[in-house]
Amino acid sequence: MSTIRARSAASYWLAVPAALWMLGVVVVPIVLLAWVSLWGGRTFSPASPLTFDNYTKFFANKTYLQLALSTVGHTAVLMAVTGVLGYGIAYFLTMKVRSPRWRLVLFLAFVVPFWTSTLIRGIAWVPFLGVNGVINQALIFTGATRSPIEAFLYSRFGISMAQASLYTMMAAGPVVYMLNAIQPALREAAMTLKAPPLVVFWRIVFPLTLPGVVIGQVLVFLNVMADFATVATVGGNKHAMLPNLVLLFYEGSQHRAASVVAVLLMACMLIGVIAALRVVDIRRLGADR
Amino acid sequence: MDALAQAVREAPATARPQLDLELRGIRKRYGGFTAVDGVSLKVPKGRFVCLLGPSGCGKTTTLRCVAGLEDPDDGDILIGGKEATRDPPWERDIAMMFQDFALFPHMTVAKQVGFGLEMLKKPKAAIAERVKQVLASFEIAQLADRKPANLSGGQRQRVALARAMITEPRILLLDEPIGALDYSLRETVMLELKLLQQRTGISFIWVTHDQNEAFSLGDLVVVMNHARIEQQGSPEEILQRPATAFVASFVQGNNVFHGRVVRAGDGLLLVETACGSFLVPGRGPTIGSEVSFSVRAELITDLLADPHLNRLAARCTAVEYFGSLRRHVFERPDGEVMKVDQFGAYAARIVAGQRVELGWRPQDTVLHTGSAE
Repeated sequence: MSTIRARSAASYWLAVPAALWMLGVVVVPIVLLAWVSLWGGRTFSPASPLTFDNYTKFFANKTYLQLALSTVGHTAVLMAVTGVLGYGIAYFLTMKVRSPRWRLVLFLAFVVPFWTSTLIRGIAWVPFLGVNGVINQALIFTGATRSPIEAFLYSRFGISMAQASLYTMMAAGPVVYMLNAIQPALREAAMTLKAPPLVVFWRIVFPLTLPGVVIGQVLVFLNVMADFATVATVGGNKHAMLPNLVLLFYEGSQHRAASVVAVLLMACMLIGVIAALRVVDIRRLGADR
Repeated sequence: MDALAQAVREAPATARPQLDLELRGIRKRYGGFTAVDGVSLKVPKGRFVCLLGPSGCGKTTTLRCVAGLEDPDDGDILIGGKEATRDPPWERDIAMMFQDFALFPHMTVAKQVGFGLEMLKKPKAAIAERVKQVLASFEIAQLADRKPANLSGGQRQRVALARAMITEPRILLLDEPIGALDYSLRETVMLELKLLQQRTGISFIWVTHDQNEAFSLGDLVVVMNHARIEQQGSPEEILQRPATAFVASFVQGNNVFHGRVVRAGDGLLLVETACGSFLVPGRGPTIGSEVSFSVRAELITDLLADPHLNRLAARCTAVEYFGSLRRHVFERPDGEVMKVDQFGAYAARIVAGQRVELGWRPQDTVLHTGSAE
């Protein structure tokens, strides 16, 4: 059996195709984006002088700042909601469902909807949440409400509901993985050391799943921050987040403004990921076992 | 009426010698599989008990029932004389050491050794003080700030033991506690644990499949097979008087025979087996009944004299050396293996391939009288 050692010439050659791909589709566009966002002057050309004017203009506009702030706030709410729901689902699946067959059935029930694209699933919420939608019809049928509730569709609430359904599995997945890795003997050992179940959870189970929680939160954070499609379809044109602003500027041929927002969005995400990595060293995942 | 007898009869129940643990007819089934089938056991104060048996015999399930990690379907568990069958693990006066030690990967040694005291809501300063003492007494003070990933097997074992012992439970349950250790470490650790048990007076219930562990550590050895107790007694009792064919064959050095009683009288039975007829001391079985008996390998000899009324000719297939012990392996006429041990490092009288006339005294033969419960 032949093996390729790490850091040998062969291993570097093997990395070349992927590296070229990443350079072409990730690194170069980002550099271009950052460059364009700094273009000054009246004409849109590479000959433009480099200034921070575009950024100054963005930060001088209260509406844009508000939008940025509400994007971050909305993302935080989504992280909290999907975090709690996701942990609950993960805990239920791994700890409470004893029969392997039921576990598989429930797992598939959670996962199969994710075989369709995020965009389709986002749009699918429209007939569900609308004034004559499934939820309102059900509410009227059961007598819970007389007139349909309009707040579901084209509202912040509707966007949150749709996004929670889209991203809860992202929060749950890494937690399932971490929970599965916890030996049952650890919880038993804690119990024989006089820890009642809630304490066992708080002192043993939760700390050991923390890396999974953080990874899930990072995934939700990145996806919600970048999700313009759900906001556009479920929120209609009443609501917008930073990524929608990119689209708006782009469609208005304001490429410099679009790149400014895109760069700021990326900066936010980068800061978020760095903050998460400070909490948990993801690279050392599982090293304690 | 005798005043003393009356006083004894009227003495309060607490005056009886207290038991650390009592099991009454514990049963545990998993679907169609019976893991523990009517296990009863009494452990007086401060005993070292070894549950010995092959894998799947129910010894670990029994231990887990005592810990409260399994719910028995039937039977009672009394810990320190107090009914505890339905108590959850965290309300029982026990501690447990797990097979792979089950150390908490995210806690430092000091933190996890103090965990039990933290759960008992002891003041912080007192916990720190006690942890320091305990770490020092287990000679692991220098490991206080390490996490389990950075400990050797022997160090982990000490941490697990310190963590379990710090709350001073009435009973310490140990599930194959040295099975995960290097072979060279085991003997030292066994001796330390035996001394620790004697010093603290805490009852140890030690689960093992290794008879050397059971016989060198246990005050009381409980041999289990197929979810039941086959025999319980001191190591001497089990070694010298195995109660069943299973115990005799499980304990090293016994040769087991099965046969039918053809004559009985004067405390002796004549038993007909596939290897011939043998004299076995015993009174119970009647003519025609099926019995089993055993004879220890070191009590069989090739130097035949008058008292060796039990005789058997067999071919030696191999000679093995275990230190000063020399074990001759014979093929019995019924196809089974027969072992004959001789001591001393002198040259073998019997060599492989040789056919030898062997014999043993009837009084060295042990009739299996069944489970002695």
